[in-house]
Amino acid sequence: MTDLSHRVRLRCEGLSVDYRGRAVLDAVDVEIRANEVVGIVGPGGAGKSILLKTLPRLIVPTRGRVILDGTDLATLPRVGLAAARESFGYLFQNYALFDFMTVLDNVAFPLRQGGQCDDAEAIRRAEARLADVGLARAAPQFPRELSGGMKKRVALARATVADPQIALYDDPSAGLDPVTSSRIFKLIRQMHERIPDCASVIVSHDIDRMRPVCDRFIAIVDGRVAFDGREADLGRAPPTVRAIFEGGLVAGVAL
Amino acid sequence: MSIADWTVAPVGRATNYVLETVGGASMILWRIMRALVPPRFDGHETWRQLDRVGVRSAPIVIVTALFVGAIMVIQTAFYVNKTGATSLLGYGVGFTVFAEIGPILIGLMFSGRVGANNTAELGTMVVTEQVDALRALAIDPMRYLVVPRFIAMMLMLTLLMVLGDLFAIIGAAATAQGLIGLDWRVLIANLIESHLLDELTMGIVKAACFGVSISCISCYFGLSVSGGAAGVGRATNNSVVANATAIFLIDFLVGWLYTL
Repeated sequence: MTDLSHRVRLRCEGLSVDYRGRAVLDAVDVEIRANEVVGIVGPGGAGKSILLKTLPRLIVPTRGRVILDGTDLATLPRVGLAAARESFGYLFQNYALFDFMTVLDNVAFPLRQGGQCDDAEAIRRAEARLADVGLARAAPQFPRELSGGMKKRVALARATVADPQIALYDDPSAGLDPVTSSRIFKLIRQMHERIPDCASVIVSHDIDRMRPVCDRFIAIVDGRVAFDGREADLGRAPPTVRAIFEGGLVAGVAL
Repeated sequence: MSIADWTVAPVGRATNYVLETVGGASMILWRIMRALVPPRFDGHETWRQLDRVGVRSAPIVIVTALFVGAIMVIQTAFYVNKTGATSLLGYGVGFTVFAEIGPILIGLMFSGRVGANNTAELGTMVVTEQVDALRALAIDPMRYLVVPRFIAMMLMLTLLMVLGDLFAIIGAAATAQGLIGLDWRVLIANLIESHLLDELTMGIVKAACFGVSISCISCYFGLSVSGGAAGVGRATNNSVVANATAIFLIDFLVGWLYTL
C-alpha cells in the first residue's frame, strides 16, 4: 500500500507535452514514491504512454519539469542524463528487443553496457533473471523465434536485470491472452518486491489485473490528471474515471 | 490551382527536400566526428558491422568486378583488333576500371546492398522502439549504432575497391585470353607498364568518400523514419536514390580535383 512517509523518487511538475503537433499532456503533476506500484490508466490516446516516455526524458516536455531524487532532469548535461537513465528500467509496449541478439544477450545487454560487472557476471545475472521469468531454456534463441508472451517476459527480464530504482512498464499485457497477462503482472509485482526502494509505474488498460498489483492509480483523461489515489477513494472521482474502472470508457467515449 | 502551384511550388519542395537531406546527413557526419574524438564507440558492434558490411559484400563485389573487367575488354576488343593496338588494351582497361567504372559500379552495388539494408534496419529499429530502448538504457544510439556503421562502411568499401580492382583485372585477362585470343600476360604486362598509380589511388579515394556518404545518408534516412512499415519503405527508397545521386556527384568532384 502507498505509504506517504516513503520518499518521493520522481516528481512531474506542470508537465505539458506537444507530440507531433498535438497537445497530448497538459499541466500534469504526478509524484512517484519509493516502494509503491503506481498504475496509470485512461482511455486510449489520453497520453499515458507519452507520460511514461517523458519520465526518463525519452520525450522532452514542452513545459514543466521532471525531477528525479531532487534533480531536474532538464538541467543535467548529456553524461548526467545518461547516468540518471541508469536508474530506470523500461518495458516497451512492442517489446523493443534487439533482433540481432539472442535472448540471453538482450537481457545481459544493460549490464554489459552499464559496466557494472564483468561479462561472466553479466551472463550469470542474465541467466538467473531469465530463470525467474521461466525462460531459462530460451536463452540461445532469437526474439523472432518466440511467442508474444515469451517476448514480453524477456523484455521484463531485460527491464529489471540491472535492479532499476524506477521500473516503467508500458502496457505489459497488450496483445496477450488472460492467463499470460496475469502471469506478467504477477512477475512485475515479484520484481518490484525484490528490489529495495523500487518504484514501479504500470501503464495499462487491464484494470482487473492491475488491481491486485497496484498500490495507487493515476487516471489520465484528455491529457490531464483526472484522478490520483487508491481505488478505495474512487467515490470522489469524476464519472469518467469511475467508468474507466468499471470498463465503460473506451477512447474517451462512455459506453 | 495557379501556374505558380504547378511550377514554382514543386521546385521549392524539391529544393527544400535536397537541403534537408544534405543538412541531415551533414549533421550525422558532424556527430560522428564528435564521437570519434576521442574515440567512444562499441567495439563489439563495430566488429559485427565489419563482418556484415564487408565480408558478406565480398561475393557481390567480386562478381561485379569480374564483369566490369570482362565488359571493358569486350567493348574495346573491336577497335584493338581493327587497329592491331593490342598493347593499348591493358592501359584502356586499367584506366577505365581503376578510375571510373570500377568505383561507380562497385559503389552502386554497395549502396544497393548495404546502404538500403542499413536504412531499413535502422528504420525498423526506430518504429519498433529499439532506438528508444537504447536511450532508455542510457546508451547513445549515435555511438552504438551509427559510428560502427560509419567505420565499417568507409573501411570496408575502400578494401572492397582494392579487391574489386584485382578481380576486374582477372576478369579482363580471362576475357582477353578466352574470347579475343590475346595472351593474358601481354595485357598484364601492358597494364603494369602503364603506370596507373594515380588512377588507382583516385579510385580508392572515391571509394572512401562513397563509404562516408553511404553511411551518413543511409543512417540519416533510417533514423528519421516515421509512419511504421510504410515509412520504412519510403525511407529505404529515398536512401537508395540519394546515395546513387551522391555517388555520381562525388565521382565528378574527386575526378575534377585530380585534374587540377
